[in-house]
Amino acid sequence: MMFTRFTDRSRTSVEAAFDEARMLGHDSLGDEDLLLGILRADEGKAAEALSSLGVTLEDAREASEGMLSDALSSIGISLEGVRTQAGEAFDMRIPDNRRIAYSPVAKKALVGARKEMRRRGDDHLGTEHVLLGILGNADGMAVRMLARMGVAPETLQERLFEVCDRAG
Amino acid sequence: MDSKTRTQVGGPEDPREGLEAVVALRRTLEALEAAQVENAFVAGWSWARIAEVLGVSKQAVHKKHAKRIRERYPGRPPGRKDWDR
Repeated sequence: MMFTRFTDRSRTSVEAAFDEARMLGHDSLGDEDLLLGILRADEGKAAEALSSLGVTLEDAREASEGMLSDALSSIGISLEGVRTQAGEAFDMRIPDNRRIAYSPVAKKALVGARKEMRRRGDDHLGTEHVLLGILGNADGMAVRMLARMGVAPETLQERLFEVCDRAG
Repeated sequence: MDSKTRTQVGGPEDPREGLEAVVALRRTLEALEAAQVENAFVAGWSWARIAEVLGVSKQAVHKKHAKRIRERYPGRPPGRKDWDR
């Protein structure tokens, strides 16, 4: 039911988001993971708008780790210090046998995506709608991650509409 | 309580920052535990000894970590004579 009207691309991007979340040690799927999933799937209008603004998957992963590192620093813990002490065995990845679920924020972004689809009078839910749903949460991790990469939500939204208009 | 008083008693200026630090710490703690259990196991420690230091049962530590570590070492880890002790 979750994927009703999703295009193959947007569905793939959500599946990729789960892989990214798992890799980064996120115990639930956040809105920043949805953004990473779009970049990782690297197909569709959202990925086109993001890449035209110079946002890459590598930058986004780095920004995500930077935010983790900053949050730890705020309580006096050095991620580098932890990593050095634990050695090569240190890996943020969530073990394969642990399931992860959608976070409320990610669910809200996907509900927002469906609203965007209806508002624009589209039949299918594409990556562009997912991205608009993500951008709808101004306090979200995804929006702050983009800010860290020097991309303002308004700029991205504008670019996305350009891409959509061009596609017709 | 205004934000000034709050800072004096040690809470963060922005509650979000405080809460996000908790999430970051929890994730890092999980990864650190996994790494240190693996390090101890590879160094030849028994599950019982690892569990004792962590303050949990041997069953608990085995259940949480054995499968993952086994998958990371298709053969036997160099420092170990056997898998399960």
